[in-house]
Amino acid sequence: MSNRMDSIWSKLDRKATAIAEFTMRQYRTRISTWAVMGAGVMAVLLMLLFYIDAMGNDIEPIDNDGDSYDSDGDGYPDGQERKYGTNPDNPDSFPAGVSPDDPSVWIDEDDFNWGNLNGKNMSVGFDDDGDCVQKDTTSQRDTNDNGIECDVYLEWNVLTQSYDILSDGGVDEDPDDNTYVKEAGHRAFVLGIGKFGIVYLLGIFLPLFLATGLIREEMSDGTLHYMLAKPIARGEVLLYRMVGYLGIVWPYIFGLCAFLALVTGLIGPSDGFFRWEDLGVWLSIAWAAMLVSFVYGMIFCSFGILWKNGVVLAIIFATWELGMAFVALLSGGDSPIKFFSVIGWGLTLVDAGVALSWPDNWTLIEMGLWGGGNGEYYSWSGSWDYKALPGAEPLAVFSGESGLNMANWASFVTATMVLVVQGITAWFIGQTLFKGKEVD
Amino acid sequence: MMPDMTQVGQAEAKEWAPNHTAPVVMFNQVSKTYGRINALSGVSLGISGGVTGILGTNGAGKSTLFKLMMGKLKPSSGDVKLFGTDPWKNSAPYSRVGFVSEGEKLYDWMTALDFIVTFARLHGMTRDEARTEAERVLEFLSLSDVMHKKIGQFSKGMRQRVKIAHALVNDPELIILDEPLQGCDPLARTTIMNVIKELGRLGRTVLVSSHILHEIERITEQIVILHHGRVLALGNSHAIREMIDQHPHKISLDCEQPREIAKYIMDIDAVTGMSFINPTRLMIETKNLGDVHKELPQVILRSGQRVTGIDNPDDDLQSILQYLTGGFV
Repeated sequence: MSNRMDSIWSKLDRKATAIAEFTMRQYRTRISTWAVMGAGVMAVLLMLLFYIDAMGNDIEPIDNDGDSYDSDGDGYPDGQERKYGTNPDNPDSFPAGVSPDDPSVWIDEDDFNWGNLNGKNMSVGFDDDGDCVQKDTTSQRDTNDNGIECDVYLEWNVLTQSYDILSDGGVDEDPDDNTYVKEAGHRAFVLGIGKFGIVYLLGIFLPLFLATGLIREEMSDGTLHYMLAKPIARGEVLLYRMVGYLGIVWPYIFGLCAFLALVTGLIGPSDGFFRWEDLGVWLSIAWAAMLVSFVYGMIFCSFGILWKNGVVLAIIFATWELGMAFVALLSGGDSPIKFFSVIGWGLTLVDAGVALSWPDNWTLIEMGLWGGGNGEYYSWSGSWDYKALPGAEPLAVFSGESGLNMANWASFVTATMVLVVQGITAWFIGQTLFKGKEVD
Repeated sequence: MMPDMTQVGQAEAKEWAPNHTAPVVMFNQVSKTYGRINALSGVSLGISGGVTGILGTNGAGKSTLFKLMMGKLKPSSGDVKLFGTDPWKNSAPYSRVGFVSEGEKLYDWMTALDFIVTFARLHGMTRDEARTEAERVLEFLSLSDVMHKKIGQFSKGMRQRVKIAHALVNDPELIILDEPLQGCDPLARTTIMNVIKELGRLGRTVLVSSHILHEIERITEQIVILHHGRVLALGNSHAIREMIDQHPHKISLDCEQPREIAKYIMDIDAVTGMSFINPTRLMIETKNLGDVHKELPQVILRSGQRVTGIDNPDDDLQSILQYLTGGFV
């Protein structure tokens, strides 16, 4: 029995490598392959230029609390006068014997001191510039009324599924805009190009152009019989052709992600020379795109077997997937409708990878959306909102939750398994169609 | 259960076993319809060994017959068996089959050797075996000197030979060739005909389709005539001809004075009628071609006329079909 299995297995293997190798060589001889892949690289490079440009420019820091301004004209910024207890509105009152600070010292002087958010209701923040602790009364120092002076209180809002942020006046009110924008902008770029550009667009366009004709083109060319006139089942032909397709598409996706990881890792904001913490995110993006291109490939190839204009079905399907991609992105990953798609699971996989690699991502988003508690307004969702720091909103859009209510690694494994099962199911349906197909 | 990563040396024996008691090709009451069109109706055939010519005009059902054998089409009714196995359900018999399709499309970007080696590996051969076998068949088809050239640079005859080499790489017991001589130059035609005859001599079962009677007669005596999806005649070509000889037949004679010779020809019993086609050509009608041909030389001598040409103008497939169907083609 074991000998027999050995014989069947190694024979399968010989046929598999023959068809897979042949398919890969066939792709390499086609202009369409190079055109599609070239277009992908061009698009990525173009996006990368915008990113490099953004990372190279500093934004004008904003003085949210206005304490760099010298109200009384005595040469001392208001913040410095408050720190030494003199009256910022009286030119005769200034800290004698102390040289006046440059006004820039009092811009971005009270950055976030939040640590990582790890609970529903929390007290965070630290009054770096002392404009809270110097207030006269306890009630002035505890305006959010949580019993802790000079803090930022984060209260979980079940309705909006986010924090209501209540700060004592003057705590973390003047964050370092430039550092924040760079970090949030960098992450938004990674997730934007990763989730939408690579997982969705590449994940769907590569199979659309490369996999739809995998069997169909051989049928219309009349060359399929070279393969079918051999002792090999049609289901195997489909499978090995797909292996050949993945042999081209997977290294391409992985290579593109590795290139992006390298460039953004070196250019992006970092304490060291490279952003090692991004690697997990890039790996999740690459893995999701690889799985998604496998599932779409199987589905589109089956459409091609089913009908000579299978590409029409593929485009209709891609439109549904586009809708699901937007549902997944705009709902922050929360909408369960996204699970009725391939892309929904692909994005879930990335979100789980992000949660594992950037545990502080939600904190960063919350901080940026609050932005120091300036420009308060009553939002349509029925809560007090603030003027967000630049970069926070894009980052919020491109970040999402896995929506599976399980540990991040478990979400990662589950999404992987679901995508694999989707691919196998598509193969099974495809080979059933293929077996029943008369080839003229 | 380890995959064969090296793919060198010799591969294991094949696991599918043919049914030796069954004919190589078996068609039992096979019909194939496309909507309201009957491509084949109630075809029954059993073929084992030797070269068999499948004759028929365009649309007679030759390609449909082959596509059913190759499991490309599913019979609408009846059974198709290769070595006792249904090819629509099981591709295993193809380990002993070689198929040359009618289509001319090939992978032009591959070299001849590459092409043969790649598809030989689908028989479960290792790379080594595939290469050895590929070189053997390319040699057999006199393509050794061009085997490293791209197929795209090949002439039509060479392309046809590449297709045949591809079909022979697994040393098949059954070889099916769909119109292999179509469009080939005389040299390629002769080479291919010789290859087919050689395969027959080697004891293989070879099926060759054509719509040209003379072509098939140069290869084999065993023929099947297909017409409108039915088997019209089956057997030895001489036997079929004899059968045809009982039907009205025409012989044309070219000479300077046809009227003079006509007087003598009237004496032949088998002649049933005559007509003058033009001033130098006489058309003789008979129901027994053999008798007329036997007596004709004597009659010509007696007449003293100089005959410049004798021809059986209707001795082609179309005419045979006309005889076999009573003029209803």
